[in-house]
Amino acid sequence: MAIGDLAFLIPLLPALAFVLTFFLGKKLPNGGAIIPIAAIATSFVISLLITLNLLQNPGEVITQSYSWFAMFNLGILVDPLAAVMLTMVTFVSLLIHIYSVGYMSHDRSQSRYFAETALFTASMLSLILSDNILQLFISWELVGVCSYLLIGFWYQKPAAATAAKKAFLTTRIGDVMFLAGIVILFSDLFKIFNGTIPDGVFIMRFDEIFAHIPELAAMNANILGMEVSHITIITLLFFGGAVGKSGQFPLHVWLPDAMEGPTTVSALIHAATMVTAGVYLVARTFPMFIAAPDTLLVVAYLGAFTAIFAATMGIVMNDLKRVLAYSTISQLGYMMLGLGIGAAIGAEAVGMSIFHLINHAFFKALLFLCAGSVIHAVGTHDMRQLGGVAKVMPITAATMIIAALSLAGFGIPGTIFGTSGFFSKDAIIEGAYLFGESSGMWIPYVLSIVAALLTSIYIFRLIFMTFFGKPRTDYGGHESHASMTIPLSILALLALFFGGLTSRRFNDFVSETFGNNFVNMNIPELAEMGGYHLAAHVGHEPVLILWMPLIVAVAGLLIAYLIYGLKVVNMDNLVSRNNPVYKLLYNRYYQNAIFTDFISVKIIYEGFAFAVRSIDRGFDWVVNWISDVTIETGDSLRQFQTGVIQTYATAVVAGVGLLIVLIKVIMEVI
Amino acid sequence: MDLMLLAPELTLVVTGLAVLLIGLFIPVGSKKILGFLATLGILAALALTVTSLGTEATMFDETLSIDALSQFFKIVFLVVLLLVSIASIKYTEGSDNTEEFFSLAIFATIGMMFVASANDLMVLFVAFELASLATYALAGFEKNNPRSIEASMKYFMIGSLSAALLLFGISFIYGMTGTTSIPAIAANAGGLVTNPIGIVALVLMLAGFGFKIALVPFHMWAPDTYQGSPSVVSALLAAGSKKMGIVAAFKVFIIALIALQAEWQMVFAILAVVTMTYGNVVALSQTSVKRMLAYSSLAQAGYISMAFVVLTPMALGGGILYALSHGFMKAGAFIATGAVVYMVLSQNKNTENPDHLDNFRGLGRRMPITALSMTIFVFALAGIPLTAGYMSKFILFSSTIQSGLVWLAVIAILNSALSLYYYARVVKYMYFLPTDAERVSEPLPYTIALAVAVIGVLAIGFWPEPFVHWAMEAAKVLIPGGI
Repeated sequence: MAIGDLAFLIPLLPALAFVLTFFLGKKLPNGGAIIPIAAIATSFVISLLITLNLLQNPGEVITQSYSWFAMFNLGILVDPLAAVMLTMVTFVSLLIHIYSVGYMSHDRSQSRYFAETALFTASMLSLILSDNILQLFISWELVGVCSYLLIGFWYQKPAAATAAKKAFLTTRIGDVMFLAGIVILFSDLFKIFNGTIPDGVFIMRFDEIFAHIPELAAMNANILGMEVSHITIITLLFFGGAVGKSGQFPLHVWLPDAMEGPTTVSALIHAATMVTAGVYLVARTFPMFIAAPDTLLVVAYLGAFTAIFAATMGIVMNDLKRVLAYSTISQLGYMMLGLGIGAAIGAEAVGMSIFHLINHAFFKALLFLCAGSVIHAVGTHDMRQLGGVAKVMPITAATMIIAALSLAGFGIPGTIFGTSGFFSKDAIIEGAYLFGESSGMWIPYVLSIVAALLTSIYIFRLIFMTFFGKPRTDYGGHESHASMTIPLSILALLALFFGGLTSRRFNDFVSETFGNNFVNMNIPELAEMGGYHLAAHVGHEPVLILWMPLIVAVAGLLIAYLIYGLKVVNMDNLVSRNNPVYKLLYNRYYQNAIFTDFISVKIIYEGFAFAVRSIDRGFDWVVNWISDVTIETGDSLRQFQTGVIQTYATAVVAGVGLLIVLIKVIMEVI
Repeated sequence: MDLMLLAPELTLVVTGLAVLLIGLFIPVGSKKILGFLATLGILAALALTVTSLGTEATMFDETLSIDALSQFFKIVFLVVLLLVSIASIKYTEGSDNTEEFFSLAIFATIGMMFVASANDLMVLFVAFELASLATYALAGFEKNNPRSIEASMKYFMIGSLSAALLLFGISFIYGMTGTTSIPAIAANAGGLVTNPIGIVALVLMLAGFGFKIALVPFHMWAPDTYQGSPSVVSALLAAGSKKMGIVAAFKVFIIALIALQAEWQMVFAILAVVTMTYGNVVALSQTSVKRMLAYSSLAQAGYISMAFVVLTPMALGGGILYALSHGFMKAGAFIATGAVVYMVLSQNKNTENPDHLDNFRGLGRRMPITALSMTIFVFALAGIPLTAGYMSKFILFSSTIQSGLVWLAVIAILNSALSLYYYARVVKYMYFLPTDAERVSEPLPYTIALAVAVIGVLAIGFWPEPFVHWAMEAAKVLIPGGI
């Protein structure tokens, strides 16, 4: 039996683990943690074997489809893109689950925690495995529900409950766009088939969708006087979904608040199971994006903007986890940018972006778990109260520094020496350079390079403030238990070496996604349909451009060291409410004031909702009137039902007579 | 001729007789075994019917026919009987007359199955009466309960009147065409069209079937009988016996009297609208759950009657699928009510109106499985998606729109919306109104029957494809090439 036949078990085992843990967890030690751990470990082994098999036999893409109803199917598709994602998600989730045993050991609702994280993982895995957009959407929504449950895990805390609601509602805006995109796509395909879909053709399956890209591109809609291709509309709406899920501006507001959940949940959301879904969606449907160059531009610009926008806020946060949250938003911006520059370099963009996604998963999970380790030991998130933690928690400190180096992107260009983050981020920045070169649009490149500088500053600011110097308060603390430090060490190794060991190979492997027996797309041809040509491969830029990312990373480290390590600059003048820039950043660009106080409360709640309520009152009156009349009619009709059998018999006979006359009369009239 | 074609019926006959005979010789305490025996026999008959799907044959000088339509409806009847029989294991516990109960239910179903196969009006009538007589007795099974007796008497008297009308109609048909064979009537229908007596015959037969289907104005016995009879018998009547009327009407009107198509389509249009509206409106103000279900059942009969009006293969397929869905939903709802009644009576033997809505208060806590099943059934009856009721309504209503009868579809959809009020009220009572009563244990047989019905309802809702396919196959028997 081929290992591919077991692929369906990958999401199924965690899903079963959810059921078992949910019902039996309370009776088992550690809230039944062993069940999801065993299930996810098995899923990981299967995923890994499938990936290795695919590496050796690139042709053996796994596809299984079963008719669901009408023209819809359920099925799995494991191509290189899905395979690497599956392996990463199962692996990171496995480590987080193991780590959680220690982290959650004091919580009374452990079994609920493990059940929900298992479901979370299962949903994400089934999202990755889907071979059709409908199943992907269903899993997408499940992921959303799980994130709601987990962010609000400590639902007794009002802040957690609010954050959960905020995450759910904000991502919902994206979900609605995504759904709208699916609906348009469906109706277009239905039109392309002239409404008769042959048996065995599943129109929501990716190969079917991709096969009809030329027809979709040929359909035009007139929006405000502009001719817009349907493929552009659909991809923009899909991207809207990705913006919500992957925390891109302006729907990123839920991500920092999502820190209210347990830190392990944050790690799960940020590294493995949720925010990457948006990037994955764009990567999965990349052939459609390639044929819609306008959308790719939006993706590139918005990605680059998000990268720098979030990085600026990361610099001023004092909460350990919030810094990391903004860092995630910023890095997701890089991934989106990586996909957006597909307009210049084609399918290779997917390889680059997913490569960064994977590396990010490793170092971000590591950062969060380290932060969790610190919080677990010390009991506070506030960096201003920490300092010198490296002395009490050497392993945690060492692993976190490795993660920081990886995030900042330290490495030597042109060699295999470098942290994982270096290879992937560097590739994206260079891609942005090529993008600028071929299109003349340099803004994404400039934004990405400045964001790299800011990234380096904020992460080393965090390192210096937390781990070095003298303790600012008396916090006590100790190194965490082995069940927590071992996952840290494993992730640290990957954050250090994974990139260097796989770099070129990985890109080639993932870029093969769109050329195999399931989908065979000619990417350059699609690009020409969009009216542009693809540029050369990454790696032939001027030397300065190659070294630029490293230079800004080192510069960032130095700046952070000077300010927060040696304290050569007195920050008190800068860090004050009188400094307008600091104030702007610290208040997070007044997003709360704009989004919550102004848009949500003033416009939607007080303005729109009030107007709707008045109209609704009117409807209510009409509806109530109708229902009153109907119910009264019912009451009076009841009187016919006398209970006297003679009445009944009369009704039958009279009915017969009446019907005969009625037919006769009506037939005469007609 | 192959007698194996009648294997399901023969199995039931043997089971019914065996239950009756064994019951004579064993003490009351061990009569529980009869229920298991009956259930086994029914399962066997069901299995035999399912394996015979796809066979086509005629038997006994073409008076019986085995085809996709007959087998589909036989499955409907057997499924309903199975649910009733499982639940009745508990209901008949401790009764002297267990054997009569099970054998009567089985004989009634044999009658229904022969109606489904009948290819001759005489066979149809005799089978119709077999089913009717058995159910008259069943309705009065609780012979010490005046309500049950009243239910039975009303049912019997209106039933006799209707049987007389039906026979009267058949005699006219025979007089005009010289035959009672259903296909032969269609071939010799010339006289029926030219002579006004054709319309009289049509309406008389409609009265006979309309009594079983419970179409207004032939419906008046139904609320009293459904309410007064034991719940399991109501389930058999509403879910099984009603379908017998429908399959008989399908055969007689669509095959035999196709020449009078314009006339009966018009009558059915009127009756469908009146029946569904009347049923839904009166159901709004019922406080007895069984009575509410009875009126809801009127409404459902009104929806199914739309199939006659639209008369496209898709509409007929929808109507036939509706028959199966309704079998699961309505039988399930009555059995769930039966479980509640059983619980209420076992706490206080002399409760008036044990099926009153007030007894459903807080059922979600008291009897969680029953409450959840009941919720699924009433939502299915209302036509909430992912249930059997939704799929059936969807096919039926969309076929109505496709054939241009938008006004009819609009009335039906408005009716559906109206019905949600009284269905949701049950759910409100079960989950949102407080009670101080304790949780009670739910009898296993009821629970099993409910679980089977829930599976049926959800299976058709989630995986409608094969069921729709079977229903469409059955519809092809009625109009082979489409009209």
